[in-house]
Order: sequence, then C-alpha cells, then structure tokens
Amino acid sequence: MPAVKKSYIVEEVRKLQMNEQISKGKRLDGRGLLDYRPIKIETNVIEKANGSARVFIGNSQVVAGIKVQIGTPFPDTPDKGLLIVNTELLPLSSAQAEPGPPSEDAIELSRVVDRGVRESKMVDLSTLAIIPGKKVRAIFADVAVLNDDGNLIDTVSCAVVSALLSTKIPKLEASDDDEIIEKETMVSLTVSDIPVPTTFAKIGESMFVDPDFEEESAMDARLTLTTTKSGAICAGQKGLPSGLTIEQVKHVAANSVIKGEEIRKIIKKAVSENGKKT
Amino acid sequence: MSEVKRKYVIPGELIVEGKYRPDANVIQRDDKFYSTRIGMAEYGYESIRVIPLSGPYIPRIDDLVIGTVINSSAFGWDVNISSIFSAYLPAASVYGRDYNPGQESLSDMLRIGDLIVAQIAAFDRTRDPLISINGQGLGKIPNGDIVKISTTKVPRLIGKKGAMIKTIEAGTGCRLTIGQNGVIVIVGPRDGINRSLGAIKLVEEDAHMADLTQKVQNLLSSNNDGEELNSKNNGEENGKSNK
Amino acid sequence: MGNLINKGIRADGRKIDELRPYKLEVGILKNADGSAYIELGKNKIIAAVYGPKEVHPKHMVQPDKCVLRCRYHMSAFSTDTRKNPAPSRREIEISKVIREALEPAVLVEEYPRTAIDVYLEVLESDGGSRCAGITVGALALADAGINMLDLVSGCAAGKIDDTMVLDLSDNEDKEGEGDMPIAMMPVLNQITLMQIDGNITQEEFNKGIELATIGCNAMYEAQRKALMDKYFKKDDLNKEQKD
Repeated sequence: MPAVKKSYIVEEVRKLQMNEQISKGKRLDGRGLLDYRPIKIETNVIEKANGSARVFIGNSQVVAGIKVQIGTPFPDTPDKGLLIVNTELLPLSSAQAEPGPPSEDAIELSRVVDRGVRESKMVDLSTLAIIPGKKVRAIFADVAVLNDDGNLIDTVSCAVVSALLSTKIPKLEASDDDEIIEKETMVSLTVSDIPVPTTFAKIGESMFVDPDFEEESAMDARLTLTTTKSGAICAGQKGLPSGLTIEQVKHVAANSVIKGEEIRKIIKKAVSENGKKT
Repeated sequence: MSEVKRKYVIPGELIVEGKYRPDANVIQRDDKFYSTRIGMAEYGYESIRVIPLSGPYIPRIDDLVIGTVINSSAFGWDVNISSIFSAYLPAASVYGRDYNPGQESLSDMLRIGDLIVAQIAAFDRTRDPLISINGQGLGKIPNGDIVKISTTKVPRLIGKKGAMIKTIEAGTGCRLTIGQNGVIVIVGPRDGINRSLGAIKLVEEDAHMADLTQKVQNLLSSNNDGEELNSKNNGEENGKSNK
Repeated sequence: MGNLINKGIRADGRKIDELRPYKLEVGILKNADGSAYIELGKNKIIAAVYGPKEVHPKHMVQPDKCVLRCRYHMSAFSTDTRKNPAPSRREIEISKVIREALEPAVLVEEYPRTAIDVYLEVLESDGGSRCAGITVGALALADAGINMLDLVSGCAAGKIDDTMVLDLSDNEDKEGEGDMPIAMMPVLNQITLMQIDGNITQEEFNKGIELATIGCNAMYEAQRKALMDKYFKKDDLNKEQKD
C-alpha cells in the first residue's frame, strides 16, 4: 500500500481569516480568487538533456528534463513512438515528503500530468517512428520537484510542456540493414499544442485558483482541468473528499479556458526568449 | 569598560587566540577558540560566544512559546511549537490532579488547530518538551495575525528590556505576543498590523546590523503604509524564517 | 602522447592543478531548513537539509546523539542515457560514503534523539559529483544552523595519460587511468572521504593527495564566500555595532 502523505495542520485562526478574506474575494497574500502567483520559466537549463525547463509558480519550484532515445515500440502500436512522463516528488521538496516508494499523492501527481500531455496529442507519436515495428523514438519527460509550495500539478505540467517545446533532437537516418545513424543536425521536436492545466481549490463555498501550500492544507476539494489551444478540455481530475456543485464545476470549466490561455502566453514567451539566448 | 570585539564567522572558523571562557557555539582547542555556527562572534574581557543567525529552536525551561494543537489523546495534547520535537500538554496540568479521562472531554478545552501560548515546563536530553498553560497570559489565542521568524532573531525583536517590542507597539497601536520559538501573534487595527509586519521583516533581515532601533523607528514614523504584507511574511512555513 | 593531456594542457584547456568553473549559492529552497546549490563544470547539484527533527521510524532513535542520514540521487535526465529514477546500487554506496564524510563534522551529541536528513539531487552529472555533493551538503548543513566542528569540502584528483591532475571531467574520468575522490575538513586538515579507482603508484598517490588538497581549499573559499554573501552581504564588516 503506498504511503499517505503526512498532513500539515493549519491553525484555526488562519482558517478563519482565510474564510473571511475569501468571502470578500481576496486571499491572505492579497491575491484575487482568479490570480496566479508569479510564474517564472527558464528553458535549456540542463545541457545534457534534449530539452529542459525550470519553473517557479510562487515558491513552488520544479525542473523538467527531456531525454529522447531510440527504443522498440509497443507490440500493439508498431508505428508509434513512446512518451513516458514521470514526476518525482523529492524529499527535498517539503518536510512532509519522504524518501522511499512514491506516496499515493506523488503517483496521482505524476499520472495527472501525464494525462494532460498525452491526451492533448501535443506530440504526435506517429511522427516518432523510425523503422516501423522495430525502432521508434522514445521521449522520456522526467520532473524533479524541488520545493512544494502548493499547486504542483500546474507547476509540473508547465515545466514538461515548456521543456518539450524547447526540445531538440538529432536528425536520424536508417541504413539498409536497419542501423540507425545519428546526424549532426539538430531539429526541434514537432509540438502541435500547448496544454495547460489550471487547478482550483474550494474553501467554504468559494473556488479560487492556484492554491499555495497553506491553502492546499486547508482546502476541502480541488478540481484541475487541462485545456488546449482551441479551448477544448483534454484532461481533468477532482481531488479530496468534499463535493462540488454543478455550478462550481461549470465555473471552473469556463475559467480554465481563460486562465489556460494566459499561462499559454507566458510559456510561449519564455520558450521563444530562452531560445534566442542559446 | 571592556572593549567587545565582533567578527563574522562560519562553522569551524578560528575566532581568536587567547584566554577566554567559551560560551555558546564556541569550541576550545588549547588557547584557540573556534565557532560552530554561522553568526557574529563576540568576545570581550572574559567570555567568548557566537550569536547564531540560523538554527532550530531548542526549548529552555520557562520559555514562552506559541504553538498549534496537532493531536489529542485521552491524556493530553500534542502541540507543534516549531521546534525539533513537538511539545506535550498533559490534561492533568490543565484540569488538575483529579483529572479523570472518562469524565472530561479534552476537545471541550482545546481542539486540533487551536493556537496557544504556553510555557516550557520541562525539557532535557531524554524527553520531549512538556508545556503548561497555567499562568497569567497563557492559554488559547482566539484571533490575531500569525508571523513566523527564525528563533535566532527573537532576542533582537524583543530588544534590551523589551525596547524593540515597545517601539513597535507604540508605533503601530498593536499588541505583539512573541514566542521564543519565533512565532509571533499581532492583535490590533489592520493598518497597524501591516506596519508591524514591515517592522518585523526589517528586524529579521538586519538583525546583525547596527542602529536597528533607529531604523525601525524611522520605518514606523514615516506615513508611508507600504505594500500590503502577507501575515506569513512571503512564504514562510513551519517556523522557518525568510532566509 | 595521449589525447587527454599535451604539454601540460588538458583537452579542455586546463592546467594540471586547475578546477573547472564553479559557482555556489546558499539558501535556494524555501521549505528546507538549510539548502545550497553547486555548479562545477556541467555538474548541477542541489542540497537540502531537514533537521534536527524527530526520528521516524522510532526504532532508529539514538538516545545520545542524532542520526545523520544522507540520500544521494541522480535525476533521470542528469546523465547521457536516461536513468531509471529508482535508486541504484551505485547511488546507495555513494550515499553512504557521503554520509560518512559529513558526519565527522557534525556535532552529533548536541542533538540526541533526533535525525538530520541531507538530500542531494544531481540535476546534471559531469564527473566528480560525489565530491561536489559533499561540498554542497556541508553548506546546507551550515545554512540549517547545525553545530559543526568544521565545514567539509571535496575534490577529486585523477590520473590521465600517466599524469596526476585535479578535478577530472566526465570524459577524463572515462578515458583516464585512475580516479581519487577526496573530501576533507579544511580547518582541521582531516580527510573524511577517500576512494581510489584505478592503477596508481605510491608517488602518484602522494601527488594526488597534494592536488586534491588544493582543490578542497579552493572549494572551502567558495563555501565561505557563499555563506558570507547570504548572511552578511548587507553590512560593512568593519562597522561597529552600537545596539
């Protein structure tokens, strides 16, 4: 059985203040209900990786690295490449995170991020086949969570997406006897979408975006929706035991598209600016 | 008047050679004195010590601490005092020696999440700290803004004979309760609370510098309200300071 | 003549006693009690310290001192070929030798019944990561305010084309004939980590120690500067405290 994360007890006095402020449309750090903390993205931070990104949302900090290698395809999809997304909730990240096998929270985080990337089809896996049935490209997207100050789903996803957008892979040639030759030329990985999850938390009857560590420890429920460039919803996950009304869910859906687009702009800007530097 | 010499030091660094009595965070080898922490070494006529700039809160008997109830059992409460160990508040100390776990309901008195100001009743190398809320001014804190700073900065925040805390209270119209463990509760008008937060932040950042009282007075007497500050002081958690 | 070193100049342009470019920073993680970051060549390693804190599982508690635990881990994207995130035997051995290199510097008897956890994450690996890990781990321990006898600094010497050199790069490690990672407590002048991998003569061994000492001292200066920058940057060290 995977471990359940140790919980952090928020003072009742703080919870009362939180409730009071939120019912007036503000949070304890002065943000509005639809405000994200400052988002900072740097790409190409790991030289040995094909692509990489370091992302801060407030004080939450993660590093994503992309390694693209040659692999064999799955038997039921012989002409599709592989995409493996994995997130490590490192013991560095908080006093509650511990070394050892991943907790159920860590596994959920990893899988929710993977779904958002995969279902958006941002990378067309059929473009990764080299010799169909025998050799395909395998993309490994790994994320190291360095500091947990809440809302890791959005932070980790931003990092994976930004890293994929700045990934460069060598041109490949297949010889007559199925040998793969890596050429000197590097090309950008073909990426056709920019999925962005936005996570909302519920305290009392109010929904607000981007909970920090303390708000996460106090929240009753969480809903994440991942939206694509076209405004479609490609992944979603509700968390924690408390229920959500249909109005609340629709409110999140409508705002996910808006907030998703705002963050998409930040990602695009960061990737193009960093791209010019290297 | 003895001349007190000061020097910034890191762990393992030689402070001075001579004849002194080693005090806090100092190790002696022959006639040489070395620091064991990052901090300000101070030596004068007799003793030598290092005032640390970071490090955990280690409870001392009679210290005032502010903590949060995190667990309750039949016989008492566990309280997070932002220290190495969590503290234990025995029900018997609150209800008296006739305390019978079957009859009293602990949650009537204190529940998980309650904020309390307590005193360290016992602590040594062999046991977790024991706290007591019997005494004037101790007990549950019903409201207030909570700030957490490093325990190493608390002496500066209080000041000589309370000079610094009095300056802040006078300049903001607020009442501050300061735990030795670095947890502070501020009660007062919202405007005053924001100004207190600014003053606390200044003390925390400049604790090792000169003219601190003057700087704080200047900050508070200026009519500039400044930006609205978060009670948790830009992302502190679990008693860790804004490093 | 081999292709790793030619007329005293190495493939990357360095002399035999020259380190790769490096950079150290303290206090880069908000949640950890202490943290630090190092770049050495392409190595990028981050260290986080949590503690002193209560020991879990309880059966590991020591009544008279703290339990120091260390986890050296390489991120999946840190190496040329993607690495499986699960800890390998190599990482487990390195975790052990790093712990044993840091422990002599920690005043463990001052924290009975506690644990201190040191987490090292190699975000990018480029040869010499265990020595760099020790350097950054010691910094994080100091940042956490843990009482230490001394810092610990690490640097590897090695043999390439029959020549002893300082601070092997990844390529030199792979192509060379010997690798000697060393760490020491710089003020006490004691070696706390030594491993040897290769084929070296007695004379080369002595030369290796000499070179590694140069490297460790350079790392110590960098550690000192990083701590000073974080803790004492704002103040003029010569100004006298009046408060």
